[in-house]
Amino acid sequence: MNDRPELFRGNRIFLACVYWAFVLYVFVPLILMVVMGFKDSKFIGFPIRSWTLDWYTGVFADAEVLSTFGYSTAIAVLSTLISVFVGIWIAVMLEGRRFWGRTAVFGMTVLPALVPGIISAIAFRIYARWLGIEPGMGAIVWAHAVHNVPFVVLVVMARLSTLPRSQIEAARDLGADPLISFIRITLPYLVPAILGASIFCLLLSFDDFVRSFFLGGYEPTLPVLIFAKLRSGMSPEINAIATIALILTAAIGIWAERFTRRMNKET
Amino acid sequence: MSRLIFNRRRFLGTAAATGAALASPVYLRHASAQSGGEVNIWTYNDFVPEAFREQFEADTGIKVNVRLVDDQGKQFNLLAAEQPNPTVDIMTVAGHRFLQFIENDLLAPMDADRLTNWGKIDPIFSEGDWATINGNKWGVPILSGMEVLSYNTEVVSEEEAQTWDTLFSEKYKGQNAYIIQDMLSIVMLMKGYDGNFIEYANDHERAAEIMAEVQQFMIDKKPLVRKYYDGGAEFQQMMINQDIVLGHSWNGPAAALINDGFPLGMSIPREGSYGFVYTFNIANNAPNADNAYTFLDALLSSPEIGAAMTKASGFISTYKDVAPHLTELERKSTSFPEEQLAKLQFFRAEQNELKYSLMDPAVEAIKAA
Amino acid sequence: MTEESSGRTFWGRLAAWGPYHALMRLTTASPRRQFLILAAFPILWVLTQHLGPMLQMIRVSLTDAYPVAQGVEQNFTLDNYARFFGDSIFWMPFFRTLIFAGVFTFCTLIITYPVAYFLARHVSRKNQMLFLLLLLIPFWVGEIVRTYAIMILLGNTGAVNLLLKSLGLIERPIPFMYTSFSMGVGIVYLTALYMLLPLYSALEKLPKSMNEAAADLGAGAWTRFRRVSLPLTIEGISSGCTLVFLISTGFYATPVLLGGPSTTVFAETIAGFFHVAGDEWPTGAAFATIMFAAALVLTATFQKLMSALRKGEKQ
Repeated sequence: MNDRPELFRGNRIFLACVYWAFVLYVFVPLILMVVMGFKDSKFIGFPIRSWTLDWYTGVFADAEVLSTFGYSTAIAVLSTLISVFVGIWIAVMLEGRRFWGRTAVFGMTVLPALVPGIISAIAFRIYARWLGIEPGMGAIVWAHAVHNVPFVVLVVMARLSTLPRSQIEAARDLGADPLISFIRITLPYLVPAILGASIFCLLLSFDDFVRSFFLGGYEPTLPVLIFAKLRSGMSPEINAIATIALILTAAIGIWAERFTRRMNKET
Repeated sequence: MSRLIFNRRRFLGTAAATGAALASPVYLRHASAQSGGEVNIWTYNDFVPEAFREQFEADTGIKVNVRLVDDQGKQFNLLAAEQPNPTVDIMTVAGHRFLQFIENDLLAPMDADRLTNWGKIDPIFSEGDWATINGNKWGVPILSGMEVLSYNTEVVSEEEAQTWDTLFSEKYKGQNAYIIQDMLSIVMLMKGYDGNFIEYANDHERAAEIMAEVQQFMIDKKPLVRKYYDGGAEFQQMMINQDIVLGHSWNGPAAALINDGFPLGMSIPREGSYGFVYTFNIANNAPNADNAYTFLDALLSSPEIGAAMTKASGFISTYKDVAPHLTELERKSTSFPEEQLAKLQFFRAEQNELKYSLMDPAVEAIKAA
Repeated sequence: MTEESSGRTFWGRLAAWGPYHALMRLTTASPRRQFLILAAFPILWVLTQHLGPMLQMIRVSLTDAYPVAQGVEQNFTLDNYARFFGDSIFWMPFFRTLIFAGVFTFCTLIITYPVAYFLARHVSRKNQMLFLLLLLIPFWVGEIVRTYAIMILLGNTGAVNLLLKSLGLIERPIPFMYTSFSMGVGIVYLTALYMLLPLYSALEKLPKSMNEAAADLGAGAWTRFRRVSLPLTIEGISSGCTLVFLISTGFYATPVLLGGPSTTVFAETIAGFFHVAGDEWPTGAAFATIMFAAALVLTATFQKLMSALRKGEKQ
């Protein structure tokens, strides 16, 4: 019986090792990327013979790159809002209910996630024309929103399935109607899932090339710009762009986190 | 900190391009009276020199909208999805892919008489046999590319690079790479066949036989290859990381490596090779066709503009008299000995249907083997 | 506390407000009507937004020419589907993709489960968010840029080989690149996040006391894990695996850039019909239809299996 704390500690040390090994694995390519942005050459790779700040300063001087970044961010945020709204609604309808055609509705829900990128991009393009949607920001937001809905639905459904029914029933007993009990009980319970799903959506939208390319107009999103630049070689400039985009998104994320925390405190 | 060197190479490059545009506005001012509006272009990164674009906009009042594309296939799909009301006026097509665009009614024939500067293109490119289809010209040649054998000069000798056989030799097992599609026509050349399929236009059985032989050869050599790649950037990265020491590549990406100081050599091996030309084409039903002609004529006006495109892409300029505007290294990386150039032929599009109907399944079969 | 009570008054007031009350009465009069109002929007959305584009694609897959050239008549045909079943060279990448997707999913699960477990169980609640955010940062780098970073990590003159060489462990560089290994390194990067978050949110809900109770009963670590943690996190595992599997079937850029000569995936085959020769949209569309039908069937089976498993555990 005395060995139990040690057993726990042994487990804990093992798990900590796995965690930090994983951190190492995800960070090493990131560090390489940042470092290569300082290489004084037109291509990334070892050995690095001399260093320069030109690539980084060049990005800040390049109005096109900065506006592209803003454009991609706006698309990501707008499409995420739509996906999350629609996704929650679909998940609430599907989870824990049995009705005729449920499997079909579920199948159609996950459909956009099943189609390879190029196909879905062309399908969206043809359909957009059929609907009379002009290529451009609106079309990209629409395509990203539709494509990301399945991810929201799956994540939210997983969380919903663990919602204790007793809580809803208690609220009902106290006279809350379905809408109010949804807002007061279900929604707060879903917050972690909604946050997770939003991260997926933002990420998928921010990194999407093929849909943005087919549905975009003359203003490139960040991945479209990077792909075009890649044509003339993987230069440190691309790494500098990616690094700065990363820092800016991280800054926005931290600011948003602080902001919501302060808002919560004030109310 | 002493190792931190502020290098000005990139900025010098931009400065040279600015000079190129400043030297050319005489013609443009002439055209500006009647214009305005905009022109929409789909092209690769750096194919429209930035300085020229600014100068052109200032002189003519025509706004230049550039949409960057990264591959011929996507451009075709996008245009096909947009027709019959495209948003584009000018796009960049590889010469041997004309036919696909033409057959789908995506391109308008080019009226060379409307371009006063047409004569400033080297006739090798403007009057080549590949350039005329159905009795019409279809594009303005701007840059030329070719398939070459690229090699790390510290490992592979110049002697060895004179034959494509080296690419398939045991000596360089696991140190080579190529694009399957392109390699198929090269292997046909190695075996003395016509990679353009013109000779087999009336004998499809013979064509299929040859393709089966080539396919078998590539499958037999599969254990020797390190990577079947797709993009120039991949090739450059493999060379830099020394994952490969030789490979088949387009000359543009190879030239870019040479210009960056990498010990790379290029050759057109004795069995021969294929070349193609990038052209600016006007889309069928282009919304601003007149502006498109104004733009193209301005683009052709000075060899310095051609030189700026070569500097950015590594491909060979189609303009006359570009050489004086290039540096020593840039000239070296875009020129080949006469006897090697004699072995070069252009891709032809006439038998594309036959060619691709045999090649596409071969590519799948080689990948699956 | 004040927040609670003022909130309650707000909602209480809303519930008592005449027009709202009437609206609720009207919409929730019967369970049937309530469901119809709930279901109308989602069903309309999936039909017009999810199915619409795909039906257009399926229509293309049944034609013999698209986009239609001038003077060519478009006919309907099943040839594009027959082409897949008629030629075995297409089966290989097809099954490879499904097997890869399964293997990737499994590997990602094995790798990320301990990470999520550590986060949820052994990190203090205060720091959990911080530790999780730490893991999320690298995923914000685009797929392409990250993939090239992996190339300079694993190449013959890459960081790993340089390190091994300077330590005197190797004479000649080890060719890591363009193998299943380099591909795996790249793929797990793409999938880990989609597994990590559902697992974390499932494990985070798991009461610590349960494990301790099991330990008091003398259960070993493995038994505790198998009998307590695993069944209670099956929901997270199922949703994570579904996400990862779905994403894996559509991978294109990473396998193309990091894989070797014999790792062609089906997305590559499909893209080929749109890239190289053109004029083959219908075949590409047909192949894509086959792919997503297969993925749909497998996902549905997996979900059924999981829910059966869940029911079994509950009893």
